[in-house]
Amino acid sequence: MKPGLFAILALIVLIPVGLLAALGVRLARDEREMVRHRLDALVDGRLADVDASIARLLEQRGRELERVTEIGSFDPASIRAAVRGARLVRQMFVLDGKGRLEFPSADKEPTETERAFLARTDRIWKDKERFARPSDGTTAAASGWYAWYADNDLNLIFWRRAEGGKVVGTEVDRIALAADIVAALPDTAAARSGTADTRLSLTDSAGRAVYEWGAYEPGKKEKPRAALPLSAPLGSWKLSYFAPASDLDATFGKSSLLPAMAGAAALALVLGGLAVLVYRESSREARLAHERVTFVNQVSHELKTPLTNIRMYAELLEDSLDEGDERSAAYLKVVVDESRRLTRLIGNVLAFARKDRHKLALRLAPGCVDDLVAAVIAQFRPALEGKNVKIRFEAGAPGIVMLDPDAAGQILGNLLSNVEKYGAAGGLAHLETRAQGGRTTILVADKGPGVPAAERERIFEPFHRLSDKATDGVSGTGIGLTIARELARLHGGDVRLVDASEGAAFEVTLDTPPAEGGCT
Amino acid sequence: MGNKGFHVTGLAALAAVVFITQVAPAVAEDKVKLKIATGSGVVQAGRTERAFLKVSLTGFALPEGGARAPVNVAIVLDRSGSMSGEKIAKAKEAALLAVDRLGGDDTVALVAYNHTVSVLVPSTKVSDRTGIRKAISELFADGNTALFAGVSKGAEEVRKFIDRNRVNRVVLLSDGLANVGPSSPGDLGYLGSSLFKEGISVTTIGLGGGYNEDLMAELARRSDGNHAFAENAVDLARIFTYEFGDVLSVVAREVVVEVRCAPGVRPIRVLGRDAEVSGQNVYARMNQLYGSQEKYLLVEVELPPGADGATRELATVHASYANTVTRTTDVLGGSVSVRYSASPDAVAKSAVDDVMVSAVELVANEANKNAVLLRDRGNVVEARRVLDNNASFLSDNAARYKSKKLDRAATMNRGHAEALNPAAGKDWNVQRKAMRDAEFEADMQQAW
Repeated sequence: MKPGLFAILALIVLIPVGLLAALGVRLARDEREMVRHRLDALVDGRLADVDASIARLLEQRGRELERVTEIGSFDPASIRAAVRGARLVRQMFVLDGKGRLEFPSADKEPTETERAFLARTDRIWKDKERFARPSDGTTAAASGWYAWYADNDLNLIFWRRAEGGKVVGTEVDRIALAADIVAALPDTAAARSGTADTRLSLTDSAGRAVYEWGAYEPGKKEKPRAALPLSAPLGSWKLSYFAPASDLDATFGKSSLLPAMAGAAALALVLGGLAVLVYRESSREARLAHERVTFVNQVSHELKTPLTNIRMYAELLEDSLDEGDERSAAYLKVVVDESRRLTRLIGNVLAFARKDRHKLALRLAPGCVDDLVAAVIAQFRPALEGKNVKIRFEAGAPGIVMLDPDAAGQILGNLLSNVEKYGAAGGLAHLETRAQGGRTTILVADKGPGVPAAERERIFEPFHRLSDKATDGVSGTGIGLTIARELARLHGGDVRLVDASEGAAFEVTLDTPPAEGGCT
Repeated sequence: MGNKGFHVTGLAALAAVVFITQVAPAVAEDKVKLKIATGSGVVQAGRTERAFLKVSLTGFALPEGGARAPVNVAIVLDRSGSMSGEKIAKAKEAALLAVDRLGGDDTVALVAYNHTVSVLVPSTKVSDRTGIRKAISELFADGNTALFAGVSKGAEEVRKFIDRNRVNRVVLLSDGLANVGPSSPGDLGYLGSSLFKEGISVTTIGLGGGYNEDLMAELARRSDGNHAFAENAVDLARIFTYEFGDVLSVVAREVVVEVRCAPGVRPIRVLGRDAEVSGQNVYARMNQLYGSQEKYLLVEVELPPGADGATRELATVHASYANTVTRTTDVLGGSVSVRYSASPDAVAKSAVDDVMVSAVELVANEANKNAVLLRDRGNVVEARRVLDNNASFLSDNAARYKSKKLDRAATMNRGHAEALNPAAGKDWNVQRKAMRDAEFEADMQQAW
């Protein structure tokens, strides 16, 4: 029983805790997933914001560059003067109505920087349609950006249509533009305020970092959490976002897993504590009961021998008593009856002890059930009649059968003892025997208060005693019915409480194979 | 240009010609002085000749106790890992020293960078000294070197108070190689050019043997700032003192010099500083002139043959600048002529020492650059030879024009040649920084 109890308690503790933990983990995972999505959206939003701010800056610079090109006349002096004052402009150029480069020109006393410009943009001028018509063939735009690759990076030209079909453009100084973008983006001290440490990185067409900000220091090979190419015309530049992996847990993840786990742990603690208590209490009770039985068992053993002697000598005395010594005979009878009762009691205790040690065994012998019942009735008659209980016996098992007379006697004795103790108020003890096909049924009924429905099975448990008026003030060991049932089961039958209109009715069934002979 | 050819050209030019200076009119106390002169007032008649044309501008002395132009400066400090220890400590001391020299009308920003940039003190009036001092003293060093972004952010802080009446400047201190963002000397040169157009100069101070002197010099040159090599952190206080001395003495801003050569006269090259040459015209700009300091433009021109006794106008010069004391835009002008003579003696006698000293200095400077280039290519022997020749060239001319400056330059060149000898066991890396520093000072007429 104990390992079983232990297993049950363990299950009682582990199952809810496990369920709660699993639920918690799942909830936390779901939340984590949700938070990750939210965070991803947040990060994407942040990158998009940066991209938008750079796009705005470029738009603004586009207008600025357009203003730079708005000079009265496109003579070299005016153009050079305009370039000198425009920090974003490396060179300005003018295409004539036919898309030919008008300025700068090798024929117009070019400065050194103009010569360098002509050399590095040589291949652009071969594509004359470039600034005049948009690539998609729609209506020609009035102005726009033109991007080309040189020096391993993206270079930009801002151009606009001018009077007389001319196109005037400015070659943007990409370094100055980069410095401008850097200046417009947050610095690390500013980025630090409030939010967790992250790192944003802006890389150029060749993947080189142009600018980085944020206090987080990513590893050399660390992959960005998110990346976004910039909007045109800086489409080959890229923004990357880095954040520590623990960032997610730090912000949200752990906070959701932790309570779930803490809840499970608390529940485990409470349930575990309860289980330990229950286990200890139950094992204490069992131990106490065991100790009690052992004690009683030992005492009973010690009592058995003197009791047998008392009974034997009392019965001898009874036989040798003079006729007419009514008083002495009556006294002696009491001594005999009481010693029998004690014998029965001790028999029960010893049987219970043997049962506990699984040492109950039957000793079958041929015998007559009716005779046996009659003998037991005879033993109880004085006591029952002393309580105004009438005894009615309907004998129906007269054949000789194989049975353990001691066991059967003990069963009947226990039942009649109960009638005497609890059912005497009904004024009737009804006994009935039947024999059928190798089985014998003995009914013992009374008209007493009976057994409440809820207690019908529990009365067979050891040390269980009904607590009501009927049992108040009645002493007993609480093992009588247990022993009776145990012995009957050993005998191939059972003791059951059967339905009765009033009082208690116990039905004893015994497996009694027929034997030779008849009852005396 | 090969060393030999150059050498001959230089001497030929010096052998050429004398005469004529026309000083700008109205040399008032608070006006910049314009001086136009040729290497000699007389040139050899009958053949195509070359001459050096020096256009110099000298800032007037700031009036005693008078108002100076307010300064709008961003101090950009490299705080990458290599700066840790004494370097950052001395840099902080120097920065504190600089802040102490500024007045309540000046604005200052403090930007520090390693792999990323932090604007520690956004541009603010110097009246709040405690906040600035605190930010400086809390600096510590670690990480990489995002020099480009540091300068970009520093410039952005300067822009907040940018004004043509202010001295707008970024002072950059770095000891390391730029490795985040655009990092080539060319790229940083473009950044300098762009800032120059906004009227912002970048002074670059290289500390120790680990920085890229080409990049730092280029950034300063294109933006018309100063450049200095601080071999040790203890030099920083001195350099910051010089730099802020300059910054606090600016008398003219947005200086424009236009040289229009006369018909037949062709500009061949401009020595030292950058200038635009288009046909007959030379155009140069400076962000500022400092009090009592001379800055000049040196142009080598080719003039057509002339008859003995004839006079030819070489060029007219126009200059303009924003006067920071009077808050006016002043215009200056003048012209210069030479006389042809058949007598070599007359030509020799007409040499103008001041112009020739400048010419010799810048010509020698070109040779010096060439020597660095040769050494970079591993050609130590040739580099030494160039430097030795250069030293002789300098000492010859030092004697001829009785110039202590050229004599010092000769000594330095000889020293550099000596140091290149592997037996000397000198660190080329450090020597190269010192040479770049000296070249820069000569080209840009930096006074320190």
